[in-house]
Parts: sequence; structure tokens; C-alpha cells
Amino acid sequence: MHWRVWSLISGGVAAVAVLLGTVGAAHAAMMPPAAARAGLAVVQAHCSACHRETAPGHFARISEERKSPEGWAMTIFRMENVHGVRLTQKQLRTILRYLSDVQGLAPSETRAGRFALERRPNHPILKLPYNLPVMCGRCHSLARVALTRQPASEWRKLINFHVGQFPFLEYQDGSRDIRWWKIASTQLPAKLAKLFPLHSAAWRQWRNRPRADLAGVWIVHGDMPGRGDYYGTALIRRRSWDRYRARYVLHYANGAAFNGSSDAIIYTGFQWRGTGTLGGKPVHEVYFAAANGSRIRGRWFLAGHSEIGGDWDAARTTGAPKVMAVIPSALEVGTRQRLILVGRGLRGGVDLGPGTKARILVRRPYGLILSVRVNAHAAPGYRTVRVGGVRSRDLLAVYRRVDHLEVEPAFAIARLGGGTLAPVDAQFQAIGYTNVLGAHGRVSAVRLGAMPVTWSVAPFNAEAAKRGDVRFAGTLRQDGLFVPAEGGPDSKRQFSADNTGDLYVVATRRTGKTAVVAKAHLIVTVQRWIKPPIY
Amino acid sequence: MNLKFLVPVALAGLLAGCGSVLSPGHASHDFIVTGAAPDHLFVINPRTRKVVSDFTIPDAHDYVSVIVPSPNGKVAYVLVNRTRSIAGINLRTGKEVFRANLESPGERLTCMYAFDVTPDGKELIVYVYRTRLEIDQYKVQAPRFLIFSTAGGLHAKPLREFPAPRRVQMVLAKKDGRSFFAIGFNLYEYDLKTGRLIKRRGILDWHRPHHLRPDMLAFWPVTEPTGIFSSPVYSTLTGPGTPSGGVPETSLLTLNLHNGHLAYHDIGRTDALIFSTVIGPQRKWAYGAYTQLTKIKLDGAHWRVADRVNLPHTYYSVNISPNGKDVYVGGTMCDVIIYDARTMREKGDVRLPGCDDQATATLRVIERR
Ligand code: HEC
Ligand code: HEC
Repeated sequence: MHWRVWSLISGGVAAVAVLLGTVGAAHAAMMPPAAARAGLAVVQAHCSACHRETAPGHFARISEERKSPEGWAMTIFRMENVHGVRLTQKQLRTILRYLSDVQGLAPSETRAGRFALERRPNHPILKLPYNLPVMCGRCHSLARVALTRQPASEWRKLINFHVGQFPFLEYQDGSRDIRWWKIASTQLPAKLAKLFPLHSAAWRQWRNRPRADLAGVWIVHGDMPGRGDYYGTALIRRRSWDRYRARYVLHYANGAAFNGSSDAIIYTGFQWRGTGTLGGKPVHEVYFAAANGSRIRGRWFLAGHSEIGGDWDAARTTGAPKVMAVIPSALEVGTRQRLILVGRGLRGGVDLGPGTKARILVRRPYGLILSVRVNAHAAPGYRTVRVGGVRSRDLLAVYRRVDHLEVEPAFAIARLGGGTLAPVDAQFQAIGYTNVLGAHGRVSAVRLGAMPVTWSVAPFNAEAAKRGDVRFAGTLRQDGLFVPAEGGPDSKRQFSADNTGDLYVVATRRTGKTAVVAKAHLIVTVQRWIKPPIY
Repeated sequence: MNLKFLVPVALAGLLAGCGSVLSPGHASHDFIVTGAAPDHLFVINPRTRKVVSDFTIPDAHDYVSVIVPSPNGKVAYVLVNRTRSIAGINLRTGKEVFRANLESPGERLTCMYAFDVTPDGKELIVYVYRTRLEIDQYKVQAPRFLIFSTAGGLHAKPLREFPAPRRVQMVLAKKDGRSFFAIGFNLYEYDLKTGRLIKRRGILDWHRPHHLRPDMLAFWPVTEPTGIFSSPVYSTLTGPGTPSGGVPETSLLTLNLHNGHLAYHDIGRTDALIFSTVIGPQRKWAYGAYTQLTKIKLDGAHWRVADRVNLPHTYYSVNISPNGKDVYVGGTMCDVIIYDARTMREKGDVRLPGCDDQATATLRVIERR
């Protein structure tokens, strides 16, 4: 199934709301009355034949749940694919924005499930009670559950839909040894409604807040696994009540340009969904603005390769002075380096503690560029960064040795490509740690950040060695990116097996005669044909 | 062993049949019946290793799965149309002689791979899931057994309906013609005429000392040539002397359709997965298929893995010649391989014309004079 979600959800194509009628609506804070009326009109015209309008503006089932724009998109796509609803692109956008705004989620209600909207790869399963990981977390992430708010009666209907649509659900591993249906149809709806209720104080407050204006100049920093830190500025302009256009002037840690631009729609007053380019590549953005509009955070990713992307953290240039990030986040003793302090209001001299000497090379809108010398005897450990009167802890460390490494993520899944389907890569990075002797003789490990290492793969166990997984499953590049092989039966393999594999990903860092090694577990598995908006 | 990583979701099922009770000494020959997408039903002569018939099943809608031959071997009942229809195909002429489209006003019916024909060949017992389709919601209904007359023609409607438990994986007619079995959380036996529950015995609900709850995915139930259905069951052996986490263990469940005798036999540590099994005619050996062909010695109460050879790829379905000399493996892709039951050496293979996937189609053996 092809999900047109990005052309629909994000601001990539300009579409202006149809203005209908003149009567004011109850949703003035979240969306202008005209846009609300337009959305309501689409629901009346295209949904009410089946979902009866039981009271003015209240439609059976539709009005009894709240969810994310992606969640609404999934439902509406099913109404089209299974129940024969026909909507133009414009009607789709109108109804999607309407439902996301008037029946959306408050910021706190999105927190647990943001990872899925941001499409973070290899995210651990959400810890939810009532055996939900087994009952509901086998086919899709629990974010789908955690991003839905509805009463018990609706949870029960959703569970009925599941079994009606996928009758084999009860026969699958994870269901067939428990009484799935009995649990799901009796105890579970009330428990889900308690965890994820339709009515909440958070939503009551949020829906009546005026929208924050996100226009302005922003300081940006982020981290792209495999490529490292980046920083710079964003200029965000407002185009309409819910649309923005952004221009990014960014740099990699080494100063190379990483520019871009984006068109975004803001859903529910805080959910930024953008489409644009970064470093010349097409990207999508899933960001969340703070309630007062002072910060925007989230993740961007490559179009068609959501596993490749980066964290995004933007703060306004105005506000109390602060250091947001130090790039790089660790300095080796006995070196001289360029150091970037990303932040605002950074006036006065810079002091990184005993054994260091910092010189300001240049002041930029996003912070300071320094030249720093760390002498050979500087004490290892976290340093307090002082700029004028501003002090920041835990953003910078000094180290003599990398005592150990950890590969992140420790467990990853990559998927084979084949046909029209791109492979799902897996990006690894090696995080260095140095041991520091603390106050009471206790040794603590100080995180130094991503380190350059040599990458290799090895069979995970004897079976994998016998099958030759290392040869068949794909290649690990020296930037830590694993690129899987083509899928489909491979006649060169025993049982004509697919090019799947069970591997160790090994990071090795050599200094002189010593080597530090760390491993992660990588499973290379078959294609996944369906890539729904919430995985 | 955890089946999760090994069992594709699409494989959620297959069914069983009665098969003919074969009396040795007749001048009859066995033929293999199998199916493949989009709408093939094949009859194979294992002696010449030739496909003798390649029939087209009408309105199969790119889906051919469980196959149940009539006791006289003349008709094959095939689950088609994404589990929404059962087609009866005459195995000489290829003509469709029976059709039950599982439907009911306002409801969606799906056969959960479980159906069988009675020993007199007159009735089909079909297990269905039901969902009410309302204007803005689906409502899951209790499953049912539907009893069809095999003389019901191309628009067969159920003669009788009985309430059924959920999550039944298999329906098997008892050889006395009076009752039938359903395998789910338990083994249930029902009166064929009235649907009355006669007996219930533990399958998953059966607690064996020092065993964790068992896992069974019994969708390849072949009952020829002995009238005994068998299926691997996976469990974990715990308790004194076992390492923490226990020891994965494979057992064979057998259900004798002549007398209703149900038994479990441990066959050893789970070193390789088995999807489906067949009991040989002398009841001295059983064979199991997946990526390997496993030979199991049935030595009184002591059953154990005796031999194991690699297969060229995965095969879901296994069967055996009535004399017990040849083992057939099929299902999954587009070939059927014949192994020598004694030496476990490959004797020959049959490629299906068109090379369409058999997927979950059952490999069945019929006899013809
Ligand atoms: C032709 C009838 C029909 C039309 C028109 C229709 N729906 Fe539905 N809708 C259904 C049925 C049937 C279900 C229950 C089965 C399911 O969930 O797919 C359903 C379920 C739903 C649900 C609850 C399930 C969920 O996943 O959240 C929502 C919300 C919904 N529809 C929204 C809409 C919207 C919005 C429209 C208009 C764009 C619409 N429907 C138009 C038939 C319809
Ligand atoms: C057999 C696999 C499976 C299991 C188990 C499962 N789901 Fe789903 N679920 C799906 C699929 C597939 C969809 C997508 C349906 C569609 O829109 O096509 C889905 C969709 C959803 C949605 C989004 C519906 C919408 O369109 O808005 C929610 C919420 C959800 N599931 C919750 C649950 C809950 C709660 C449970 C446990 C009680 C559960 N799921 C268990 C397969 C599963």
C-alpha cells in the first residue's frame, strides 16, 4: 500500500482553506472559524452517510476520539481503501487539519508516542501495563495505542475491527497461547480508556490556548548519527495561520555547509510537519513546538529512508543567555581544537577550567567559535563552561583515554531491499567513555560522544557463521551505515534462503598498541511492504 | 523454540482431512494432490513423477490453500477465495461439483482453515469466524460449525449450524461417522447430528509437570494413511536439572480418529523446527518437514528423532505413500520431492507447471484403482 502521507500532511504543496459560511465556531483558538467550518463541511458531506450526525457537529465514532495527524491520516486512508470514501486532495487536507486540530492531542499526550511519529529506528517497545506489549505491540508499535484517546466503548469497537479485519490475529504467536479475544473484549477496553481517555484536563486547557507564533530567527543544533553534530540558524516566516516557510543556514562540525529549507504545517498548534531539503537531500520534518513557542524539537529524516536522519533542537535567539550545546562535546588532553559554543546572549570571556585556554575566534548569531588548547596534564571529567555570567554543566568533557566504547543502537534491525522497495539501512555510532575517579574513590564513566572507529561485521553465533550471513546480508560502511543486500530467495544459499542475517557489528578504536572494542547486534530481515504513517 | 521469527504471518493456517482408510492388498495406486496460486489443483503420479492433471479452480481469487479429498478419492474440497469459499473439484474431470461460498446477510464469514469431510463422504464440517458488518462498525460474533451436504451443488447452504469455541485450528471427523473433533485451546468432541459437546480434553490447557505452556501451530494435518492425525508441539522443559530458561523440547501430539485416543510423545530437544508431520502406515516411523526432513522412530512408548536431512528449501507439508516406502514433501514453492523413507535419499522430484507457489496448500495422497 502506498501512503501518500507526506504530500498530504506536510506543507510541501500550497493549499489554502476554502472559506465557507459566516458563523463563528467553537474552535476559535485552535483554528480560524472559516477553516473549522470547511472541515466540518467535508465530514458532513463525505462521512455522515455512515457516521450519523447524532447532534449538530457530533458524528458517531468520528467525534469520539482524538489522535495525531498521522493517526487521522491512517483512518481516513482506510475509509478510502476499504469503505469507498472518495476525497479530493484538497478535501483530504481540509479534513485532516480539521480533525487534527479539533480532535487532536495536547503536547503532553503525544510525549510517549513521539518516537514513532519521528520514525526513530530501533526504538525499544513502550513499557505499558496490562500485558499490552504482548496483546497490542506485536504487529505495530504501541505508539499507535498511546497516540489515541477514546472511551472504552470506542476501544472495544477498535478491537472488534481488528479481529473482523485480521481474523488470524488470534492464531498468531503471542495470541494463540493466551485467550486474546476474551481479554481484549472484556477487561482491556476499560483499562485502555483509563490510560488513554477521551476527556483530559490537558486537552481542555490546550484546545483553548491561542496558537504561538513561530516566526523569527532560531538557533539550531542537532546530531545526525553517522555524520555528527551540526549547528546554525533558521529563519522562519509565517505564511498563514498554520503555515510556515523556513530557511536553514547550518554547518557540520567541521564548518562545511549543511543548508536547507522547508514548508511546514502546524497541527494542533504545536506539531510541525515539514517537507524540504537539507544538505541538498529531500527530507521530512516531525517537530514539536514548546507550549509558549520558545523551542522546537524533533527529528528530520530522508524522504524514503526514514531510518536516516537527525535530531533537531531550535531555540529563539532572544531569551535568557544560555549555552545549548558544545561541539565537539569532548576534548582530548594535549590538543588544540576548534570548539563551537551554540547558544544565545553569550557575552564576556570564556573559561573551560584549569589546564585549558580558550580564545574567541568569532562571534556568530548562533554562538561563539573558539580555539581551545588543552594541556597534557588537564584533569579528565566534565567541565563547567563559563561564558561571562553563564555557567553550563555536563556539556563538555576532557579526556586522556577512551576507556570503553558502546555501539548505539545496541540492537538494530535492517531490512533487505528488492524490486521497487528500498532497503532499510541501519546506522550505528560508537560512543566513547572515559573513567574518572570521583570524590569517594568511586569511578564514573563520562560520556564523550561519537568517536571515529573502524567498523566490521562478524557472525552472531555458530548458525550464522555456518550460513555465511556475513557474506550475504549486506555491507557495513566505514561511517557505521549498514546497507542490506537485495531480498528474495538466493540460490547461492542453503535452502535458497533470503539474504537475511544475524550479525555482530563491531567497532574498534586503536590508539598505539591498545584497542577498545564494542559490539552491537544486528538482524537483517525481510522486506516490509507496508510503511504506515505510524509504524 | 519461539516460532515468532520463523513462521510468516501469512502462514496462519491449514487444515486437515479424513483421507481414505487404506486396506492393503488392493490393486490401487496412490496419487498426490496439491494446489498452487492463483487457481491450480494438481494431481501427480509419483511413480512417473509427472503431473497428470492441472485443473483450474473457478473463482479461486488467487488463493488455494487447504485440500481435503473425499474418502473415495474422487473429489477434492479446496479452501479458496481468501478463506471465504470451499470448492469441490472432481479429480478425474476437473469439474467443479460443489461450491460453498461462506456468506450470510450482513456478515463476513471466513473459514479458519479448519474443515473436514465425514467418512461416508456425505457431509462437510466447516469451522467459521463471523463478523457483523454494520454501517460504521464491525462486531465480532461467536464462531460456528457449519454442516454442508456434499450433494449441495454449486450453491450449497449449510444444513445445520452449531456454536463453536474460538481459535480452533483444526476439524477432524471421527471414523465412526457420529462425531467430530475440533482442536483449539482444548480437544473438543462434538456430536455430528446435534452439535452437543461430548468431551473436552486439554491441549494448551493441559498442564504437564515440568513443562511450560505448549505452542502448537497445527495447520498441516494429514491423516492418511493411518487415520491418525499428528502435529509437533513445542514446549520448554523446566524443573530440576534443567538450565535456567529451560530446555526447548519438541513433542508429537497424535489423535487417533478411529478411537479418539489422544497422546503426547516427547521426541527430544528442539534442534530443528518441524512444521507438519505424517505417521507411516506401520506406525513405526513418522516424518516431519520444514527446512529439514526429520525421521522419527516410534518405538513403543519411546519416540525419538532417528535421522535428519537437509531439504533444498523450506517445505510446509509432508505425506507418505500407502506402503510407507516413499515420503513426499511439498508446499511453499513449486516442487514436490520424493524421498526414500528408509534411506532418506532423494528419489526424484516433480516441478509444477508454471512454477506458482503452493504456499499453504496441503499435500494429500489419494488412491485410485
Ligand atoms: C461507507 C461507509 C463509511 C463512510 C462513508 C465512512 N466510514 Fe468511517 N467507518 C466505517 C466503518 C464500517 C467503520 C468500522 C470499520 C473500520 O474501522 O474500518 C468505520 C470506522 C471509522 C472510525 C473509527 C475507527 C478508527 O480507526 O478510528 C473513524 C474515526 C472513521 N470511520 C472516520 C471516518 C471519516 C473521517 C470518514 C469521512 C472521511 C468516514 N469514516 C467515512 C464506514 C464508513
Ligand atoms: C494482528 C496484528 C495486530 C494486533 C495484535 C493489534 N493490531 Fe492494531 N492494527 C493492526 C493493523 C494492521 C492496523 C492498521 C489498520 C488499517 O488502518 O489498515 C492497526 C491499527 C491500529 C490502530 C489505528 C487505527 C486507526 O486507523 O486509527 C490502533 C489505535 C490500534 N491498531 C490499536 C491496537 C490495540 C489497542 C491492540 C491490542 C488490543 C492492537 N492494535 C493489536 C494490527 C494489529
